Amino acid sequence: MADEKKSKQRHRTMVLESMYPVLALMLILVACVELCDAATVVDVYRLIQYDISGVPFGSRFSSLNHHAASISFQRGADLSRSVLILPLRELDIGFVQEYISQKQSLGGLLILLPQTFRPGNVGGGNLISETEGFRKLLAQLEKILVHGNIPFPVYFAFENEETDAMLADVKKNDALGQQATATTGGYKLVISVSEPRKVASPTITNIQGWLPGSRAEGDSNQLPTIAVVASYDTFGAAPALSVGSDSNGSGVVALLEVARLFSILFSNPKTRGRYNLLFALTSGGPYNYEGTQKWLKSLDQRMRESIDYAICLNSVGSWDNELLVHVSKPPDNAYIKQIFEGFSNVAEDLGFQVALKHKKINISNLRVAWEHEQFSRLRVTAATLSELSTPPELLESAGSLSDTRQLMSEDAIIKGVKLVAESLARHIYGHQGKDIKIFADDSSLAVNPFYVRSWLDLLSQTPRVAPFLSKNEPLIMALKKELEDYTAEVSVQHESLDGSFTFYDSTKASLNIYQVASVTFDLLLLLVLGSYLIVLFSFLVITTRGLDDLISLFRRPPSRKVKMA
Amino acid sequence: MTLFHFFNCAILTFGPHAVYYSATPLSEYDTLRTSVKAGVVYLATALVKLVCLATFLQVSETEVFDPYQEALKAMIGFIDVAGLYYALAQLTHRNISQNHKFQAVGLGWAFADSVLHRLAPLWVGARGLEFTWDYVLQGLEANANLVFTISLAALGSLMWLRKNKPKTLIPIIYTCAVIIATMPSITSYLRKVMGWHFPKVVGFELLTSLVMAFISCQLFILCQRPSL
Repeated sequence: MADEKKSKQRHRTMVLESMYPVLALMLILVACVELCDAATVVDVYRLIQYDISGVPFGSRFSSLNHHAASISFQRGADLSRSVLILPLRELDIGFVQEYISQKQSLGGLLILLPQTFRPGNVGGGNLISETEGFRKLLAQLEKILVHGNIPFPVYFAFENEETDAMLADVKKNDALGQQATATTGGYKLVISVSEPRKVASPTITNIQGWLPGSRAEGDSNQLPTIAVVASYDTFGAAPALSVGSDSNGSGVVALLEVARLFSILFSNPKTRGRYNLLFALTSGGPYNYEGTQKWLKSLDQRMRESIDYAICLNSVGSWDNELLVHVSKPPDNAYIKQIFEGFSNVAEDLGFQVALKHKKINISNLRVAWEHEQFSRLRVTAATLSELSTPPELLESAGSLSDTRQLMSEDAIIKGVKLVAESLARHIYGHQGKDIKIFADDSSLAVNPFYVRSWLDLLSQTPRVAPFLSKNEPLIMALKKELEDYTAEVSVQHESLDGSFTFYDSTKASLNIYQVASVTFDLLLLLVLGSYLIVLFSFLVITTRGLDDLISLFRRPPSRKVKMA
Repeated sequence: MTLFHFFNCAILTFGPHAVYYSATPLSEYDTLRTSVKAGVVYLATALVKLVCLATFLQVSETEVFDPYQEALKAMIGFIDVAGLYYALAQLTHRNISQNHKFQAVGLGWAFADSVLHRLAPLWVGARGLEFTWDYVLQGLEANANLVFTISLAALGSLMWLRKNKPKTLIPIIYTCAVIIATMPSITSYLRKVMGWHFPKVVGFELLTSLVMAFISCQLFILCQRPSL
């Protein structure tokens, strides 16, 4: 008896021992298992999240782990645990507006954009008419999303075959009336990112290039300066997708080309003008031109006073026939008159029109709609060249997801460059009112369309939302280097963004799409497997021991062997 | 949900082994020790096989069926047979009838194979959120493999342990054994050259395993008769 016990004990320890390596193996596996085996991974871009003076805006959450649902679900269904997939192609803007204004709960929102809106996608011209509708829709949607306080994660993604297939499946399910939840299977969308954190001390970087003129001999007076300014940053619903081709990539391109042209003129002592030229690429444009303000304040007093006038370039990439000159001094002011006449003469020669638009500055209003207003507040004569006719509100017309390369017309930019360069040259060399072409098309001083195109392409691929740009961002370095090539002295200024704006990170993430089985399926599978094992057990017992044995097994219900089956 | 699926697949993969052990007289004669020994022999064999594969086989990046390489692989596959021979003939089994011995050895062998080849992928894969049929199929494959191993063990015990068997049956026994031993190469051929998908291959394996089980059962009974 004791012997038998002992042997059993030994037996048990041996079994246990043989299990140890298996256990160890399992533990190691548990430790290193990374559950990232989704069939599909899609890049997604989060809606911007920001506070203005502590008031929250944008998408307040980032992580996502819910089932997918489409718009064709039954109205009134509870979507608080589903991710609603909205393709822009079938977007009902009223629905979104209603949903957000009623503050209904939603697990998350995934907006699928057509591929044409992918930054850097030059695209075919034949689709322009089709995308025009989407563009307007997207702009409306952005307005709702950016100015709302949305208590769920909102992501943008681009359509591709996988998302299309998923959407078709989800729609089919929803149309059948069975909403995808944990019990019916379907698709599960998972984005695992950490809680969005505040961007610590966002910086805005201004780049300034100085092209000195030549003083006449014996003249000891300081030379007057003309400033050409463009803000290079942009804004948009998704910071990782906001490339702002028009606002204000076009202005930057025009500024660089003007700088290039004048660097050629000023490099020759004979054609060096009696004016200094100051080129500035400022940041913080969407936030009341904060970078411009800080840059101006940091300028040397004498330098600032020497500025004769400043020309700001803003959105000059998609206009047809009329460009607007926005000023804040009354139109009958002598300086304004002079600037405007310079522009209109050149425009007439080039075959288009410029119009003057006057908007008074209200000092008590914190909103700065145009870049030149920052100059005007410091009593520097300035004007903004823009295709926009109305002063934009805060965070509006300052870049958008729909503001992409396809909309840009290189011709428009080239015309803008000619307008600025020609009028500047006439002013500098004292040829006002004369019909001369300094930058004629086939001369060595012609505007280079390839240069314009390459910079426009580059800017149209680079997201430029200022708080998310680091001090040494490649783009900033590239702009600095470009200005260094054309001007004598380049300085870079880093300022911190005003405290009233707070931005949150995690702008980009990967969406894992899992096709999941339902609990009922798993239960069913368990049932099938259980019956399979029972049948197998019965079969084996009958064949090896006979039917009687099987029956006798069932006569003793608490039998160990039945349990094992 | 995913742990549930893992549980299901684990039942399908390892359940039949337990059922086989408890349903047949193996459990009554306490043959677990033999099975464990066979499992240990399997581990050693697998190690030797691995070393051989690493030494003689080139790693092909593409899924191309190379006859020479496959032949070599099949040759190395016969190491399994040698291991099985060792487990059946050389290991001393305390008073266990020949009838139970091959079953216990085959069971231990198949279980060790399942643990080694299927447990890790199952643990990593079936717990993922994404649902695929792969692990269910893999469980079915484990079942087929159990039947194959026991058939092979039965044929092996006929070949090596039984002295007086009908002369006419010997070629059939050997042919069947060779077919079962080259099964991995056959499935690899089906998958790579014929372009069969996993479900089809598993179906084929299940079918052939049943056929082979039937044949080896008949052979076993035929060999048993004269000794009675």
